[in-house]
Amino acid sequence: MTNKKIQIVFVLISVLLAPLVQARQPPNVSVGGQGDSNERAAQLAKEVADKGWIVYAARSSENGTWDLFLSRPDGSHRRNITNTANFEEGGPRFSPDSAKLLYRRFPRDAVINHDLWGFQGQLIIADANGSNPVVIGGDREYPWASWSPDGKQMACLTKRAIEIVDLTTKQVIRRLPRKGIYQQFFWSPDGKWFCGVANTAVMWTIVRMDVATGDTNIIHEFQSCTPDWFPDSRNIIYASRPPGQPGGNGYGFTQLWAGDGEGKHPRLLYGEDGCHIYGGALSPDGKYVLFTKCSEDGGGSERSGAPICIMRLEDAPTIGGESRDLRRVHPITKDGPVLQLVDGWEPYWTYVEVGAEK
Amino acid sequence: MTDIPETAYANRLTTIPLLLLLTTALFTSCSRKTDAGEDGKVTTLGSIEVTAQLVEIRGRLLNDPLYDYAHVMKYKVLQVHRGNVDKDIIYVGHYNPAKPRDKVADARVQEIGGNLKKFRAGDIHRMALEIPIDDYYMGGIINKYFQESKDPIYWAVWTNKVINTDFPY
Repeated sequence: MTNKKIQIVFVLISVLLAPLVQARQPPNVSVGGQGDSNERAAQLAKEVADKGWIVYAARSSENGTWDLFLSRPDGSHRRNITNTANFEEGGPRFSPDSAKLLYRRFPRDAVINHDLWGFQGQLIIADANGSNPVVIGGDREYPWASWSPDGKQMACLTKRAIEIVDLTTKQVIRRLPRKGIYQQFFWSPDGKWFCGVANTAVMWTIVRMDVATGDTNIIHEFQSCTPDWFPDSRNIIYASRPPGQPGGNGYGFTQLWAGDGEGKHPRLLYGEDGCHIYGGALSPDGKYVLFTKCSEDGGGSERSGAPICIMRLEDAPTIGGESRDLRRVHPITKDGPVLQLVDGWEPYWTYVEVGAEK
Repeated sequence: MTDIPETAYANRLTTIPLLLLLTTALFTSCSRKTDAGEDGKVTTLGSIEVTAQLVEIRGRLLNDPLYDYAHVMKYKVLQVHRGNVDKDIIYVGHYNPAKPRDKVADARVQEIGGNLKKFRAGDIHRMALEIPIDDYYMGGIINKYFQESKDPIYWAVWTNKVINTDFPY
């Protein structure tokens, strides 16, 4: 081969490999440096600032308890909407029309367990801005209550069965076997499915249940939890701690994943070595992803939560920080900007203008 | 080195066998102690009460303070005291089995306990049980028998240790 031919081959190989090499480089680290990362996060903040409101639980600076807060998705206009010194509150969810807010209320100083919170405390339904809270049941009643698509019913996960409850009469109008589902249970926006964490061949398996037939199928097995629906009711977001990670002394780190309702095409959305990612939820149009990033496993509900983060779904997969181990498994990433807000727990998003002052 | 007087030797020669004899007697006495595991809880809680031998603990017993779970273990039924058990081999889910039974009750599972400190294959337990496990416990279940047995899993409400009874094991 002549020198000229070798040069041509070299140039061709370089051109072919260039996109791959570029994709492997984490922009946060080596392309633009921290300044660029901040700039891109600021751009993302501008982009989401007027896209409705997020609600989440956080420690109140006024009374030290867990209260509920509303803020714009860029973190601005933050305000405490419960401000109860004698109670802890958590797990807020807007009704499908965003007129109401469902959450759980616990006695002051109760430790909110990251796995048990849906069983703990009382179910409360308030107006979406937190006003007019109504106690729906007693302690531990209506566990894991989740809105029906029309907001007139709720599905609850009890030991004996899944119960569909009429919100006006409080009567159970239907019971289904829970088929091993044991926590983090949510009704799909189209009303056709439930998702939850279940025991199958192994525990910590994400499953989908057909509301009409009660049949279940596996979405993702092994060390997976906190599933929630995409707005299209066809995809599910969940947290997963894949095996074989060397980090954390072999314990590994929990990552944010998504899969379709058939249990196919699982894909990484966000991960970061050294952090456990929980609280995954989509914006109402499915374009943005909400999550929390905690240095300790569990999501932080037992303490003060963890930073709430927002990224674009189109930027998935994104890996934060250096994350050498994770990048080895996922060499091709987009590493889009991640907007980091205040510490909180279980954030949820609406595009409806619910945040007007009382 | 110091010399030992002959009288001291003589004393030792008589003392050592005596101590050995006493120790043997003590162990023999202890080994004769029996405990059928019966108490006010095991005889009243749950709808089923059995004495059964723990045949096998399949898989590692996890001790993770962040996560609770039940671990399914294989038992051979030796005696049914209450309720109906129609098989010799049963599968029983024990909650957080790395913990002693008298320390295991918590926010998730409150009505549970017993005097058993540690699970060991071969030991005999007297247990108050419920069935099926899903009606009484809602949480992660490690069931290494999932593929080979479709029998309903029992839920251990109360677990006491049985010591040296006359069961033919």
